[in-house]
Amino acid sequence: MTIVDTGTAPQIAPRKETVPAVQPEGLWRVVVLNDPVNLMSYVVLVFRKVLGFDEPTARKHMLEVHEAGRSVVWTGLREQAEHYAFTLQQWHLSAILEPQDETH
Amino acid sequence: MKRIEVKLSLPVVAPLLDVIKNTADNLGDRLATPITLDDVDAAFRGEWREELLAEQTAEINTLLALFDSEFFATGVVGFDESNAIVIVRACSAVRLRLRERYLTKLPDEILEGGDVELSVLDDEVRKAFMCYLFLATVQELIIQHLDSAILDS
Repeated sequence: MTIVDTGTAPQIAPRKETVPAVQPEGLWRVVVLNDPVNLMSYVVLVFRKVLGFDEPTARKHMLEVHEAGRSVVWTGLREQAEHYAFTLQQWHLSAILEPQDETH
Repeated sequence: MKRIEVKLSLPVVAPLLDVIKNTADNLGDRLATPITLDDVDAAFRGEWREELLAEQTAEINTLLALFDSEFFATGVVGFDESNAIVIVRACSAVRLRLRERYLTKLPDEILEGGDVELSVLDDEVRKAFMCYLFLATVQELIIQHLDSAILDS
């Protein structure tokens, strides 16, 4: 609510309608969630190709997805995180964005 | 990546193609992966989804085009640098839809292990599961033959 000083009695200005927007500041995580469909070899391939992981790193994250149900595969600024999430989704992986301050 | 040509058994594969085609058609305007776009800015959400959908449709068209009249004449399908990645992705999309549409009664651990007793499945589910395995085999075959040039591109 915004109070406008008109020089006489205070009036209440109508609040502007706002659209909820994602706060882009801060660090964001790209999280890949497990699915029972995609092959382990496929997920490793995607991690290598999209995120540039070497084979052991890709395999480590794939196993984390498989065993823990999720893996944080990248953390950084919002724009780049969106790029990675989108590209992982192009490969039909369940990738989501999370603000860094969420605890898991 | 060298071109791979695979000769498939027509009597085995042909009956699966109708299911694959129907499942691909059934995807329609839905994404194969049930992703939430809640974290995407509302202003971009529609565009984000439309772009994913357009790519998915193009991938699936490439997959279905493998099984053309030449395939039915020779039983041969070919993979090379121009189509390998697209087909691997299309297989993923169709497998996800097969799971959603026909295989929901199979527990995740059974599906992941592939240890399914086919004789207890009804005909529709059994055929869908065969498609699911067939597309996984195509994916494995391509992934084994991808070289570092494709991974780096």
